Amino acid sequence: MKANQTIARWLDRRQDDLLGTHFHELLSFGGRIAFETHLAPMLRLQGFVEELALDLLSSDGAKIPVIANAAEKRDSEGHHIFTRLTLFKAVERRAYERDLLEARSKAEAAIGAEQETAILREQFIAVLGHDLRNPLAALAAGARLLHKRESLSERGKLIVNEMNASVSRAAALVTNLLDFARGRLGGGLPLNRVPDQALTPVLEQVVSEIRAVNPDRAILTDLSLTEPVDCDPSRIAQLASNLVSNAVTHGAPGLPIELEAATAGGRFILSVTNGGVPIAPEAREQLFQPFFRGAVRRSQQGLGLGLFIVHEIAKAHGGSMEVDSTAERTRFTFSMPLTRHEEKANPG
Amino acid sequence: MFSHGFGCDQHMWRDVAREFEADFRVILFDHVGAGRSDLGAYDSQKYSMLDGYADDVVEIGRELGLENAVFVGHSVSAMIGALASIKAPGMFSDLVMVGPSPRYIDDKDYVGGFSREQVEELLEFLADNHLGWSAAMAPAIMGNADRPELTERLASSFCATDPDIAREFARVTFFSDNRDDLPAVSARTLVLQCREDIIAPISVGEYVRDRVPDSSFILLGATGHCPNLSAPAEVTAAIRAFV
Repeated sequence: MKANQTIARWLDRRQDDLLGTHFHELLSFGGRIAFETHLAPMLRLQGFVEELALDLLSSDGAKIPVIANAAEKRDSEGHHIFTRLTLFKAVERRAYERDLLEARSKAEAAIGAEQETAILREQFIAVLGHDLRNPLAALAAGARLLHKRESLSERGKLIVNEMNASVSRAAALVTNLLDFARGRLGGGLPLNRVPDQALTPVLEQVVSEIRAVNPDRAILTDLSLTEPVDCDPSRIAQLASNLVSNAVTHGAPGLPIELEAATAGGRFILSVTNGGVPIAPEAREQLFQPFFRGAVRRSQQGLGLGLFIVHEIAKAHGGSMEVDSTAERTRFTFSMPLTRHEEKANPG
Repeated sequence: MFSHGFGCDQHMWRDVAREFEADFRVILFDHVGAGRSDLGAYDSQKYSMLDGYADDVVEIGRELGLENAVFVGHSVSAMIGALASIKAPGMFSDLVMVGPSPRYIDDKDYVGGFSREQVEELLEFLADNHLGWSAAMAPAIMGNADRPELTERLASSFCATDPDIAREFARVTFFSDNRDDLPAVSARTLVLQCREDIIAPISVGEYVRDRVPDSSFILLGATGHCPNLSAPAEVTAAIRAFV
């Protein structure tokens, strides 16, 4: 090997000493193995190698990071004449590359930890939601028994009614939480579709339950369902219940809430309308995001999952949600195809 | 069947394999992570031991219906071939081991040639040179008007190695210990040993010869770790004489 003065200076060796040594003897151990197994074969096969990252060892054992370009010179018969190596000192570049790698592996570790925490958190929500169901059911049964079997004072009846309202609100929150967790953990809400579901009784039941706990609110219905709907009835009930409850919470107390449902043009359309302050345009885009809560300052506000679940139910049925909010009224409209077949024909 | 070792791909055998094409059915392949292999087939669990690579060799052999074939393995592939020959009796009647090592790290009286620290340093080097190896994956196509065959070969790229897989392959290779498998090798075996090979020293080649029951040993004139590239004629002649 013949090396120039610059390399001799980097290595802190005399140029004459380097004559008679092999290039690989100047390399760190790791570099030597990589050179033998990867770089030398490549050089032999393609005649050159560019931008090799290698470490030279100086006479005192210090590593000198270099970038090397190598090219072989062969005669017309293919016999090797010499190999020229051009080395560039690359201390800064290699330090930079190392920093990049370190930053990447740190970022990867952080993302991994973050994902683990997120999964744990969602599992925790699922378990918590599930475990809260039983005591809630017991409370509801107790309140029902008190209401039916015991002779209560007027005041007692009022209190039991309030308790009932609170228990059903809590139960609805838990259901939403569970669905949220299930949707996040398992990818989408599961549906139990019934191909020819009559929805009128389902929706009437929803409204009567909400009326029972909100006796002072006017809830009007206009149901003209002339065709069966291929849907999961309990999910449609949940969607309607979330929308009407939402209207009860956010609508102006003095104005009626309207639930309209119809089958027309191959679609099932359900809308819930209430009066009151309109939803700000910038808030509309986020309405269906989980944990979104508007600017309304009311103590009975929920977790912000109701509309998210409504949207998920709509999506699972191949349907869509729309919101229209003016000074006169705020209306949420759900629309889905009557059958799954049309769902394919008219996606969206 | 020619099998390449750590750091390169099937091109390693270019100058040897073609000498056998006239009178043998020649099989060349890339281990997963090298050359044009399907990187998506890589599975850290499966390839955490040389057995994973040996299973691939057996799979190829079964697919092609090999019986009493000759397996030629370079470097770590020598042990991969030994394992494959044990796993699938009858598939390989002859093994040619070029620069084999059943264990790279010294262990008591056994001299593998590497210390544990050196292997760690190698792994660190590979981790450190991640970008360098990535660049090597896609060599630029340079104008070589005077050597058109070079330009053509460039398009296919040599010794392409996925840097992440290479690191794991290096760990599996240099921490492997297959000394106990050697006596179980029943295939007729030829050990081809180079001089001045820092990866597989002469004493290691002799160790393999002493442990494999039906084996012979040739010390080549070639130096370095890759005689299949640096001295293809000598390697070809030795294999010819053996088979």
